[in-house]
Amino acid sequence: MTTTKNSLPNAPGIPTEGALAGLKVLDLMWVVAGPTATRAMADFGATVVRIESANRIETARGIGPYHNNGQGPDHSGLFGNMNINKLGLSLNLGTTEGRDVLLDLIKWCDVLTESFSPRAMRAWGMDYDSLKQIKPELIMLSTCLFGQEGPLSRVAGFGTMGAAIGGYIALAGNPGGSPIGPYSAYTDYLSPRFALPTILAALDHRDRTGEGIYIDQAQAESSLHFMSTALLDYTINGRVPQLVGNADPVMAPHGCYAASGEDDWVAIAVRDDGDWANLCSAMGQGELTCDDRFADLTARKANEDELNGIVSGWTSEHGAVEIEYMLQAFGVPAHAVSNSSAAARDPQFQHRGHFVTMEHPEHETTTFEAAKGRMSETPPTYRSVAPSIGRDNDLVLREILGYDDERIAELAIADALT
Amino acid sequence: MLLSPYRVLDLTDQRGMLAGQILADLGADVIAIEPPDGSPARSVGPFAGDDPGADRSLFWWAYARNKRGVTCKLDHPEGKALVHQLAAGADFILESSDPGVMAARGLGYDDLAAGHDTLIYTSISAFGQTGPKAGYQATDLILMAAGGPLILSGGAGEAPVRVSVPQAWSHASGEAAIAAMIALRARSATGRGQYVDISAQQSVAAATMSANLAASIGAAETARVAGGMAVGPFTGKLIWEVADGYISLTFLFGAGIGPFSRRLFQWMYDEGECTQEDRDLDWIGLGAEFISGARPLSEWGRLMEVVGEFLRKRTRAELFEEAQSRSLLIVPVTTVDEVANSEQFEARDFWREHEMPGWPEPVRFPGPFVKLSDNQIEYQRRAPTLGEHNAEVYAELGLDEDALNDLRIRGVI
Repeated sequence: MTTTKNSLPNAPGIPTEGALAGLKVLDLMWVVAGPTATRAMADFGATVVRIESANRIETARGIGPYHNNGQGPDHSGLFGNMNINKLGLSLNLGTTEGRDVLLDLIKWCDVLTESFSPRAMRAWGMDYDSLKQIKPELIMLSTCLFGQEGPLSRVAGFGTMGAAIGGYIALAGNPGGSPIGPYSAYTDYLSPRFALPTILAALDHRDRTGEGIYIDQAQAESSLHFMSTALLDYTINGRVPQLVGNADPVMAPHGCYAASGEDDWVAIAVRDDGDWANLCSAMGQGELTCDDRFADLTARKANEDELNGIVSGWTSEHGAVEIEYMLQAFGVPAHAVSNSSAAARDPQFQHRGHFVTMEHPEHETTTFEAAKGRMSETPPTYRSVAPSIGRDNDLVLREILGYDDERIAELAIADALT
Repeated sequence: MLLSPYRVLDLTDQRGMLAGQILADLGADVIAIEPPDGSPARSVGPFAGDDPGADRSLFWWAYARNKRGVTCKLDHPEGKALVHQLAAGADFILESSDPGVMAARGLGYDDLAAGHDTLIYTSISAFGQTGPKAGYQATDLILMAAGGPLILSGGAGEAPVRVSVPQAWSHASGEAAIAAMIALRARSATGRGQYVDISAQQSVAAATMSANLAASIGAAETARVAGGMAVGPFTGKLIWEVADGYISLTFLFGAGIGPFSRRLFQWMYDEGECTQEDRDLDWIGLGAEFISGARPLSEWGRLMEVVGEFLRKRTRAELFEEAQSRSLLIVPVTTVDEVANSEQFEARDFWREHEMPGWPEPVRFPGPFVKLSDNQIEYQRRAPTLGEHNAEVYAELGLDEDALNDLRIRGVI
């Protein structure tokens, strides 16, 4: 991307506007699950100070997509997307001095979030029970795969593992094949939907009562709420989901069909006989509506292979986007299966302002995703790109903590700021 | 409970019910409003005993918990008036109708917030309330295609494949709960509510893990890899076949994962199944060696083969147990029955039981999505039967039994 015409300026600072202006968050989380939650708070005006150390580079900095296919800690588009609007402080928590700074920040913040494996905070004397002695109104979130207790609580892991042991991998794949699962760290995308409302509810409660709270999130547990029906289907009906590709029990045709381009697919979902008749018309094969093999859902499910063959035969002659427009004009649910370039061109994403471009010190510009909620009175603001390691040390140490030159020099000598 | 002071009118169907459940679990008083002939969500399978009769939808059972249930015909003038009265006492409205439908009923944000400017009104829809695709017909599969996750899941050259338990509307519902809570916090500062517009397409984009940014930042498209992930020029294999099924092993080099790979190879070495040279590779810097050409890329394929061979001789339980003592990134790929019977969730007292009307045994449901030091999430109510709380809720509006009977006879409730 070379155009900077419509990009926002990059200016890290302490926000003064937004739904969450004045809220102070100390973020000790990494990769995706945790940072997603704190980014949403930052977007809506919270001051989020994120701790990192050059001694242990955060995993997300090594995960793509990479700006201009380049290498280096500030090339990750994932890291960029997760950490827009946050302030970055580099802190070596292996040093006593570094942990002293951490303690000062804990005294400063309203919300402390951490995603170390259980016991790390305890080892530093910074578990909730210790911290609430010095700060009873603290709201603290610990989030990890299995939670703070239980036989598997020591299993450290990424969301890819959460997706496996949480049952998601076994829910996607083709009949007779190996499980494929959803893309990458699936439980990382689900758990913020539970952590963040809880944090905000805890803040509201604190404001009314003065009481703090400790939130122990097992990402694997939160995520089970996205598959409640499958769990009930097993406990009540004894049914274990099989790998079914894109087949659906109540819709047919239902699937991803190859369109005419390269790796070009279109998703089509026929919900009922009306959709089926409309699909037949759109395909120019109205006679199929009189075909007994496809007369109703039961018949279409019984003859699903043949059915999919007919639909594929038609889709292979057209582009996926063209099919999408044709079928939607007939009221049939359909959409091209979008990759990142299709998403960037998607008129609806554009209408929603889903992709936001900002100046970037290293890449000229960067692009990240907008906040998910479109709010009429308190829109999000985009103030700064994700921090390079230690970018905001001065701002955090001087303006937020009020340290003087001498104190900062001492920290540097003690190797606390790496 | 954290949200005890607040009331939510939940007008959603299956496209938004998780949003109200999150708020209800956190303690809000959530009133689910259904048409007199039942929410469409009650027709969503699977069904208890595979019987699609009334009060058998497992979807409704799962996502109407902790809510009170009333019936109300929204398209009837008196029904509309009831919703207006209930809304006057509510902090939140949640709805998931097609764009424009609520406004056409006279139940849009402008209608309900008039004279009640503290109201937080959240709409959940497939593509958002406005825009060129706002009128699109959508299902789970369509949204996963439009939002970006679908293209990333599946085998190279094969059709992309979805998670067979529908996910898209849950993503949107989760974002609705988040945005509604952000709006509550704004309200505590300004005294004013607002309108929140949630798009499922945008919500599911989170499940691309930012791969949807590739083209915008000058990166190559992310290749689809069955049971794995493309990491630059490398294939990171995540799903491995073992003696009795599958495991997830994150096997890669670099600062984050390299040390885990080193420990895996130590185990393999201890068992006499890899060479000392392989064990002693620079597991942190290996990627740079491949990229610079100092080591041929084919070596990566060979190392994956060595690992695959080792794994195939062992069971999931053996691998998982050793992984815990050696700190390796291995977990079993579990199926839904194994999740339901997992010792871990049992040990943390995760599950909750409810007696369901017309069902012989107590039913076990997923429990609290977080554990709290105080004000724990409690499941005080099973999903309501149709109109179960009509008398209780409408009594608050001053309607007595005669008035309710009158409304019932005329099909308003």
